[in-house]
Amino acid sequence: MHKPFRDARLGRRQFVAGMGAVALAAAMPKGLRAAPAEVNVGVILPLSGANAQFGINSRQGIELVADEINAAGGIAGLGGARIKLIVADSTSQPTSAATVAQRLITQNRCVAILGAYASSLTLAVSEVTERRGIPLLTMSFSDVLTERGFKNLFQVVSKASVLGKAQFDYAAAVMSGAEQVRRIALMYEDTAYGTSQAVGVREAAKAAGVEIVMDEAYPLGITDVTPLINKLRGSGAQLVYPISYLNDSLLIIRVMRQQQLTMPVVGGAAGYVIPDFAKALGPYAEGVLSIAPANYDQKPEYTERYRKRYGTFMPHEALEHAVCLGVLAAALDIAKSDKPQDVAKALRGPKFDQGWAGVMSGGGVQFDETGLNTLAQPVMVQWQKGELVTVWPKELAKGKVIQAS
Amino acid sequence: MQFIQALVDGILLGGVYAVISIGLTLVFGVISIVNFAQGEFLMVGMFVAYFAWQSFGLDPLLGSLLSFAVAFALGVLVQKFLISRVLQAPPVAQIFLTVGLLIVMENLALILFGSQFRSVQTAYQMTAFRVGPLLLSAPYVFAFLVAAAAGMGLWWVLKKTWWGRAVRATAQDPMAARLAGIPTERMHQIAFGLGVGMTALGGGIILPYLTASTTVGAQFSVLMFTAVVLGGLGSVLGAVVGGIAVGVIQSLSALVLPIQLQNLALFAVFIAVLAMRPEGLLKRVSA
Repeated sequence: MHKPFRDARLGRRQFVAGMGAVALAAAMPKGLRAAPAEVNVGVILPLSGANAQFGINSRQGIELVADEINAAGGIAGLGGARIKLIVADSTSQPTSAATVAQRLITQNRCVAILGAYASSLTLAVSEVTERRGIPLLTMSFSDVLTERGFKNLFQVVSKASVLGKAQFDYAAAVMSGAEQVRRIALMYEDTAYGTSQAVGVREAAKAAGVEIVMDEAYPLGITDVTPLINKLRGSGAQLVYPISYLNDSLLIIRVMRQQQLTMPVVGGAAGYVIPDFAKALGPYAEGVLSIAPANYDQKPEYTERYRKRYGTFMPHEALEHAVCLGVLAAALDIAKSDKPQDVAKALRGPKFDQGWAGVMSGGGVQFDETGLNTLAQPVMVQWQKGELVTVWPKELAKGKVIQAS
Repeated sequence: MQFIQALVDGILLGGVYAVISIGLTLVFGVISIVNFAQGEFLMVGMFVAYFAWQSFGLDPLLGSLLSFAVAFALGVLVQKFLISRVLQAPPVAQIFLTVGLLIVMENLALILFGSQFRSVQTAYQMTAFRVGPLLLSAPYVFAFLVAAAAGMGLWWVLKKTWWGRAVRATAQDPMAARLAGIPTERMHQIAFGLGVGMTALGGGIILPYLTASTTVGAQFSVLMFTAVVLGGLGSVLGAVVGGIAVGVIQSLSALVLPIQLQNLALFAVFIAVLAMRPEGLLKRVSA
């Protein structure tokens, strides 16, 4: 195939010839044009504000996969088209996330959108993408995402209620003396993510006949958690389930340690499973458990490439966003088209388990009619010497749980 | 018991709010300008203390002095080259200037530092003092002590030194002060520097328990303005009372209301105070 852009580097004459080719291509009617030289993939992430750290991690995961695909010759089904990422900052506010999505879609012709990490942001973005008929691949947890009958939304992770249930059940499974746990405390940030995951924990606790002695929501961006921990101290809980983003998770653990509360902590992913958690808490992170929708130690042959490039282990949001792009690339290959509706059709049905798509815990991705990945499998991880080790379920476990706190 | 614990926590927290708010009130009292960018100087203070910790291992409580110095210098420059130009201008121009400064500072910081959250590690971060049945968080106690010392230091400077008296004279009547031979422009620069310096110092001392980020200013701006207006705009003592009141209201409200509604309680009280005492809890005493 003639590639005018590559030729442009060779010399002046070739450059002129290349320009001629470009002009010719532009003048040709749409149907006759050869496969596109690149496909635009929109990326909407919180790159500033309270959730910026997660947005940055996610972007790194996506960039890693995009570069790998492009280096390996692009999308074969589209004649080797390269993936071009168009990254936009949704900030951490849902209202601006919707505006940013609107602008991104209007100004660029995107085959699909990836993002937007936080459930509240993804909910806002998905309203826009659904209206425009552009597939949105996400790793946000909220149950609401796939409950609205949207045709263009694809959730690669387990739903929040499933994660919440696993957060409770898995903790009971890995902890010695779990039978004696009769009272637990639940605290969660009050946006879409925290509230929907809390539902899962609450129901699992009820099913197990365990009393929830503290059930407290707090605002995202909280700067003083002392009242929360005072309540926890007075509650007599034997186990605490906090569902938090980064800052709040650090505050909660610090104030718990200040007050010498030693009950085990079982975090709800997000803030509890990123490198910054251990970086900020040092030795105090050791032993903290958390649920996660996926973990990097399942497929190190892929995830270690992230560490090589960025210097930290691959956080789950980076991993799942990498999976999103892996799945999208596979679907583009099948669709042999860069029309959003063809891509959405190709996403639904087949099982994606090659390349980055297979890195998802559970071995791959397969979307049902609501857009939920039916293969997704939550895992329980524990901080051990600055790394996250999968400790449950048994068949995926890479290490033994340590009984310390 | 819970009540006393919450009260003490609130006072400790409020002490820090107070020192941050003093800066805002000082700028208003002396220069008669509402500095919407005040919160960004808190962010600057946090980053200065953070980098001092990271590069030299300097404890943020000491690093906060460095924060003060850097913000003071920055403040003098801002007053000299920017604020002084709009002193005689209509209030709208002043608002545009300080809000513009806010946006420029926040985005400059985003470009320079990125949007990651940065957290220090100190030995006392995970400890608390046991006083009878009460548990006092060590970082809160230390932050409160430094805030109190800084507040008293500022009070001493304003009351006892020639410079302080000159600043107060400028606040009371700039024309008379100039006639008495006080270089009022220089005094404005000092007051602005002191004001943003105090807020930046507040940013340094909260670093042991909060993470530094480029958007932290917005979180404190609302609290700062509430504290200052609650106590009476332009009054240093008012800012102290207002700051502590904000901390205590936030902390006590958590006893009866869900924590989500912490700020609801705060603003309910705020509106009530404004309705009954529009001039704030304390009348304007002096800068």
